[in-house]
Amino acid sequence: MDFDVKSRTVDAQTAILAPVGEVDLLTAPRVKERIAQLTEEGINQIIVDCSRIEYLDSTGLGVLVGALKRLREQEGDLRLVNPGDRLMRVLEITRLVNVFPIHATEDEALSSLAAGGASPQ
Amino acid sequence: MNTATAGKVELRIPARAEFLSVARLAVAAIASRMDFDLDAIEDIKTGVGEACTNVIQHAGTTETDREIHVVCSLEGAQLVVEVRDAGPGFEPEQCRELVDLDQLPPESLPDSGYGLLLIAALMDDFQCLSQPGVGTLVRMVKRCTRAA
Repeated sequence: MDFDVKSRTVDAQTAILAPVGEVDLLTAPRVKERIAQLTEEGINQIIVDCSRIEYLDSTGLGVLVGALKRLREQEGDLRLVNPGDRLMRVLEITRLVNVFPIHATEDEALSSLAAGGASPQ
Repeated sequence: MNTATAGKVELRIPARAEFLSVARLAVAAIASRMDFDLDAIEDIKTGVGEACTNVIQHAGTTETDREIHVVCSLEGAQLVVEVRDAGPGFEPEQCRELVDLDQLPPESLPDSGYGLLLIAALMDDFQCLSQPGVGTLVRMVKRCTRAA
Protein backbone atom coordinates (compact mmCIF):
# COMPACT_ATOMS: atom_id res chain seq x y z
CA MET A 1 0.00 0.00 0.00
CA ASP A 2 3.03 2.26 0.21
CA PHE A 3 2.93 5.12 -2.22
CA ASP A 4 5.90 7.16 -3.28
CA VAL A 5 6.76 9.79 -5.86
CA LYS A 6 10.33 9.55 -6.99
CA SER A 7 11.92 12.31 -9.04
CA ARG A 8 15.27 13.27 -10.45
CA THR A 9 16.39 16.22 -12.47
CA VAL A 10 18.05 15.65 -15.81
CA ASP A 11 19.04 19.25 -16.46
CA ALA A 12 17.96 22.72 -15.38
CA GLN A 13 14.67 22.40 -17.26
CA THR A 14 13.92 18.71 -17.26
CA ALA A 15 12.94 16.19 -14.62
CA ILE A 16 11.75 12.61 -14.46
CA LEU A 17 8.87 11.88 -12.14
CA ALA A 18 8.00 8.32 -11.16
CA PRO A 19 4.90 7.69 -9.07
CA VAL A 20 5.08 4.26 -7.43
CA GLY A 21 1.84 2.58 -6.43
CA GLU A 22 -1.79 3.60 -6.75
CA VAL A 23 -2.59 7.17 -7.79
CA ASP A 24 -6.03 8.03 -6.50
CA LEU A 25 -7.86 10.70 -4.53
CA LEU A 26 -5.61 9.98 -1.53
CA THR A 27 -2.27 10.05 -3.32
CA ALA A 28 -2.81 12.29 -6.38
CA PRO A 29 -2.22 15.43 -4.26
CA ARG A 30 1.31 14.16 -3.56
CA VAL A 31 1.99 13.92 -7.29
CA LYS A 32 0.57 17.41 -7.76
CA GLU A 33 2.71 18.74 -4.93
CA ARG A 34 5.90 17.21 -6.35
CA ILE A 35 5.16 18.68 -9.78
CA ALA A 36 4.61 22.08 -8.17
CA GLN A 37 7.96 21.77 -6.35
CA LEU A 38 9.71 20.95 -9.61
CA THR A 39 8.16 23.87 -11.47
CA GLU A 40 9.15 26.19 -8.62
CA GLU A 41 12.73 25.02 -9.18
CA GLY A 42 12.51 26.10 -12.82
CA ILE A 43 11.61 22.76 -14.36
CA ASN A 44 9.24 23.09 -17.30
CA GLN A 45 9.71 19.68 -18.93
CA ILE A 46 8.51 16.68 -16.95
CA ILE A 47 8.70 13.09 -18.05
CA VAL A 48 6.34 10.90 -16.07
CA ASP A 49 7.62 7.34 -15.81
CA CYS A 50 4.37 5.36 -15.62
CA SER A 51 5.94 1.94 -15.35
CA ARG A 52 5.31 1.59 -11.62
CA ILE A 53 1.84 3.13 -11.52
CA GLU A 54 -0.39 0.27 -10.39
CA TYR A 55 -3.65 2.17 -10.69
CA LEU A 56 -4.54 5.68 -11.78
CA ASP A 57 -7.98 7.15 -11.29
CA SER A 58 -9.72 10.26 -12.56
CA THR A 59 -8.11 12.49 -9.94
CA GLY A 60 -4.69 11.30 -11.09
CA LEU A 61 -5.67 12.05 -14.66
CA GLY A 62 -6.77 15.51 -13.58
CA VAL A 63 -3.40 16.18 -11.96
CA LEU A 64 -1.58 15.15 -15.14
CA VAL A 65 -3.86 17.24 -17.37
CA GLY A 66 -3.47 20.27 -15.09
CA ALA A 67 0.31 19.88 -15.08
CA LEU A 68 0.43 19.51 -18.85
CA LYS A 69 -1.51 22.73 -19.32
CA ARG A 70 0.64 24.67 -16.85
CA LEU A 71 3.90 23.39 -18.32
CA ARG A 72 2.81 24.25 -21.86
CA GLU A 73 1.94 27.74 -20.67
CA GLN A 74 5.58 27.94 -19.59
CA GLU A 75 6.68 26.72 -23.01
CA GLY A 76 7.42 23.33 -21.56
CA ASP A 77 5.74 19.97 -21.81
CA LEU A 78 4.77 16.81 -19.98
CA ARG A 79 5.49 13.41 -21.49
CA LEU A 80 4.33 9.97 -20.42
CA VAL A 81 6.68 7.03 -20.62
CA ASN A 82 5.84 3.35 -20.60
CA PRO A 83 2.18 3.40 -19.57
CA GLY A 84 0.92 -0.14 -19.11
CA ASP A 85 -2.10 -1.59 -20.87
CA ARG A 86 -4.43 -0.54 -18.11
CA LEU A 87 -3.34 3.09 -18.11
CA MET A 88 -3.47 3.15 -21.90
CA ARG A 89 -7.06 1.98 -21.75
CA VAL A 90 -7.95 4.80 -19.37
CA LEU A 91 -6.17 7.30 -21.63
CA GLU A 92 -8.01 5.99 -24.67
CA ILE A 93 -11.43 6.13 -23.02
CA THR A 94 -10.90 9.70 -21.92
CA ARG A 95 -9.26 10.59 -25.27
CA LEU A 96 -6.29 11.91 -23.32
CA VAL A 97 -4.20 9.59 -25.47
CA ASN A 98 -4.53 12.39 -28.03
CA VAL A 99 -3.34 15.01 -25.57
CA PHE A 100 -0.28 13.48 -23.88
CA PRO A 101 2.82 12.72 -25.90
CA ILE A 102 3.56 9.08 -25.05
CA HIS A 103 6.95 7.39 -25.40
CA ALA A 104 8.15 3.84 -24.94
CA THR A 105 11.31 4.80 -23.04
CA GLU A 106 12.81 7.66 -21.05
CA ASP A 107 15.58 8.00 -23.62
CA GLU A 108 13.07 8.38 -26.41
CA ALA A 109 11.21 11.06 -24.45
CA LEU A 110 14.43 12.91 -23.62
CA SER A 111 15.60 12.81 -27.23
CA SER A 112 12.26 14.09 -28.42
CA LEU A 113 12.30 16.95 -25.91
CA ALA A 114 15.89 17.82 -26.77
CA ALA A 115 14.97 17.96 -30.44
CA GLY A 116 11.95 20.10 -29.63
CA GLY A 117 9.98 17.23 -31.08
CA ALA A 118 6.33 16.46 -30.93
CA SER A 119 4.58 13.34 -29.81
CA PRO A 120 5.62 10.11 -31.51
CA GLN A 121 1.96 9.52 -32.30
CA MET B 1 -28.55 -19.36 -11.27
CA ASN B 2 -25.34 -20.91 -10.05
CA THR B 3 -25.50 -20.65 -6.27
CA ALA B 4 -21.72 -20.25 -6.12
CA THR B 5 -22.15 -16.88 -7.81
CA ALA B 6 -25.38 -15.75 -6.21
CA GLY B 7 -25.64 -13.56 -3.18
CA LYS B 8 -25.21 -10.11 -1.85
CA VAL B 9 -22.28 -8.42 -0.12
CA GLU B 10 -22.65 -5.07 1.57
CA LEU B 11 -19.85 -2.80 2.63
CA ARG B 12 -19.97 0.47 4.51
CA ILE B 13 -16.88 2.63 4.48
CA PRO B 14 -16.20 6.12 5.79
CA ALA B 15 -16.42 8.63 2.93
CA ARG B 16 -12.72 9.37 3.11
CA ALA B 17 -9.96 8.92 0.58
CA GLU B 18 -8.04 6.56 2.90
CA PHE B 19 -10.77 3.94 2.45
CA LEU B 20 -11.01 4.01 -1.34
CA SER B 21 -8.51 1.20 -1.74
CA VAL B 22 -10.52 -0.88 0.74
CA ALA B 23 -13.62 -0.58 -1.44
CA ARG B 24 -11.66 -1.36 -4.60
CA LEU B 25 -9.98 -4.41 -3.09
CA ALA B 26 -13.18 -5.76 -1.57
CA VAL B 27 -15.10 -5.52 -4.83
CA ALA B 28 -12.20 -6.99 -6.77
CA ALA B 29 -12.18 -9.94 -4.37
CA ILE B 30 -15.89 -10.46 -4.92
CA ALA B 31 -15.52 -10.24 -8.70
CA SER B 32 -12.67 -12.73 -8.62
CA ARG B 33 -15.00 -15.29 -7.03
CA MET B 34 -17.10 -15.04 -10.16
CA ASP B 35 -15.77 -15.91 -13.58
CA PHE B 36 -14.53 -12.47 -14.60
CA ASP B 37 -11.20 -12.23 -16.35
CA LEU B 38 -8.49 -9.95 -15.00
CA ASP B 39 -9.37 -7.06 -17.31
CA ALA B 40 -13.00 -7.18 -16.24
CA ILE B 41 -11.97 -7.24 -12.57
CA GLU B 42 -9.85 -4.14 -13.17
CA ASP B 43 -12.82 -2.50 -14.91
CA ILE B 44 -15.00 -3.20 -11.88
CA LYS B 45 -12.33 -1.91 -9.49
CA THR B 46 -12.07 1.29 -11.48
CA GLY B 47 -15.84 1.70 -11.69
CA VAL B 48 -16.30 1.29 -7.95
CA GLY B 49 -13.29 3.46 -7.17
CA GLU B 50 -14.62 6.26 -9.34
CA ALA B 51 -18.12 6.02 -7.90
CA CYS B 52 -16.76 6.21 -4.33
CA THR B 53 -14.41 9.04 -5.30
CA ASN B 54 -17.38 10.93 -6.67
CA VAL B 55 -19.16 10.58 -3.33
CA ILE B 56 -16.15 11.83 -1.38
CA GLN B 57 -15.60 14.77 -3.71
CA HIS B 58 -19.19 15.85 -3.32
CA ALA B 59 -19.18 15.42 0.45
CA GLY B 60 -18.71 18.53 2.53
CA THR B 61 -15.37 18.73 4.27
CA THR B 62 -17.07 19.20 7.62
CA GLU B 63 -19.11 16.03 7.27
CA THR B 64 -16.41 13.57 8.28
CA ASP B 65 -18.86 10.96 9.57
CA ARG B 66 -20.46 10.31 6.20
CA GLU B 67 -20.50 6.75 4.95
CA ILE B 68 -20.49 5.21 1.52
CA HIS B 69 -22.71 2.19 1.14
CA VAL B 70 -21.53 -0.32 -1.45
CA VAL B 71 -23.86 -3.19 -2.30
CA CYS B 72 -22.61 -5.96 -4.58
CA SER B 73 -25.26 -8.30 -5.93
CA LEU B 74 -23.90 -11.47 -7.48
CA GLU B 75 -26.46 -12.48 -10.05
CA GLY B 76 -24.93 -15.47 -11.79
CA ALA B 77 -23.35 -14.08 -14.92
CA GLN B 78 -23.40 -10.49 -13.80
CA LEU B 79 -22.30 -8.38 -10.91
CA VAL B 80 -24.44 -5.42 -9.95
CA VAL B 81 -22.75 -2.81 -7.77
CA GLU B 82 -24.63 0.03 -6.18
CA VAL B 83 -22.73 2.86 -4.56
CA ARG B 84 -24.91 5.20 -2.61
CA ASP B 85 -24.58 7.98 -0.11
CA ALA B 86 -26.86 10.36 1.68
CA GLY B 87 -24.78 13.36 0.80
CA PRO B 88 -25.70 16.65 -0.82
CA GLY B 89 -26.11 15.11 -4.27
CA PHE B 90 -25.79 17.13 -7.43
CA GLU B 91 -27.85 18.14 -10.40
CA PRO B 92 -28.58 15.18 -12.72
CA GLU B 93 -27.46 17.26 -15.70
CA GLN B 94 -23.92 16.93 -14.39
CA CYS B 95 -23.86 13.22 -15.30
CA ARG B 96 -24.88 13.86 -18.88
CA GLU B 97 -22.43 16.70 -19.18
CA LEU B 98 -19.56 14.52 -17.97
CA VAL B 99 -20.34 11.70 -20.37
CA ASP B 100 -20.51 14.23 -23.21
CA LEU B 101 -16.85 15.06 -22.56
CA ASP B 102 -16.17 12.43 -25.19
CA GLN B 103 -17.40 14.87 -27.79
CA LEU B 104 -14.94 17.63 -26.85
CA PRO B 105 -11.76 18.31 -28.81
CA PRO B 106 -8.87 16.86 -26.81
CA GLU B 107 -7.20 20.18 -26.01
CA SER B 108 -10.42 21.46 -24.46
CA LEU B 109 -10.69 18.62 -21.97
CA PRO B 110 -10.83 19.87 -18.39
CA ASP B 111 -8.67 18.95 -15.39
CA SER B 112 -11.47 16.99 -13.75
CA GLY B 113 -14.67 15.15 -14.49
CA TYR B 114 -13.35 11.92 -15.97
CA GLY B 115 -14.76 9.60 -13.33
CA LEU B 116 -18.27 9.08 -14.64
CA LEU B 117 -16.90 8.88 -18.17
CA LEU B 118 -14.70 5.98 -17.08
CA ILE B 119 -17.55 4.19 -15.32
CA ALA B 120 -19.77 4.54 -18.37
CA ALA B 121 -17.07 3.12 -20.64
CA LEU B 122 -15.83 0.31 -18.41
CA MET B 123 -19.11 -1.07 -17.12
CA ASP B 124 -21.81 -2.70 -19.24
CA ASP B 125 -24.58 -0.66 -17.72
CA PHE B 126 -24.44 2.48 -15.64
CA GLN B 127 -26.96 4.76 -14.05
CA CYS B 128 -26.28 7.81 -11.95
CA LEU B 129 -29.23 9.05 -9.96
CA SER B 130 -28.62 12.12 -7.88
CA GLN B 131 -30.86 14.61 -6.24
CA PRO B 132 -29.66 17.71 -4.42
CA GLY B 133 -30.29 17.30 -0.71
CA VAL B 134 -31.13 13.61 -0.96
CA GLY B 135 -28.01 11.81 -2.14
CA THR B 136 -26.55 9.93 -5.01
CA LEU B 137 -26.88 6.39 -6.30
CA VAL B 138 -24.52 5.01 -8.88
CA ARG B 139 -25.66 1.64 -10.19
CA MET B 140 -23.24 -0.36 -12.32
CA VAL B 141 -23.53 -3.72 -14.00
CA LYS B 142 -20.71 -5.87 -15.31
CA ARG B 143 -21.59 -8.99 -17.25
CA CYS B 144 -19.29 -11.95 -17.23
CA THR B 145 -18.69 -12.97 -20.80
CA ARG B 146 -16.96 -16.21 -19.78
CA ALA B 147 -19.86 -17.46 -17.66
CA ALA B 148 -21.99 -20.26 -18.97
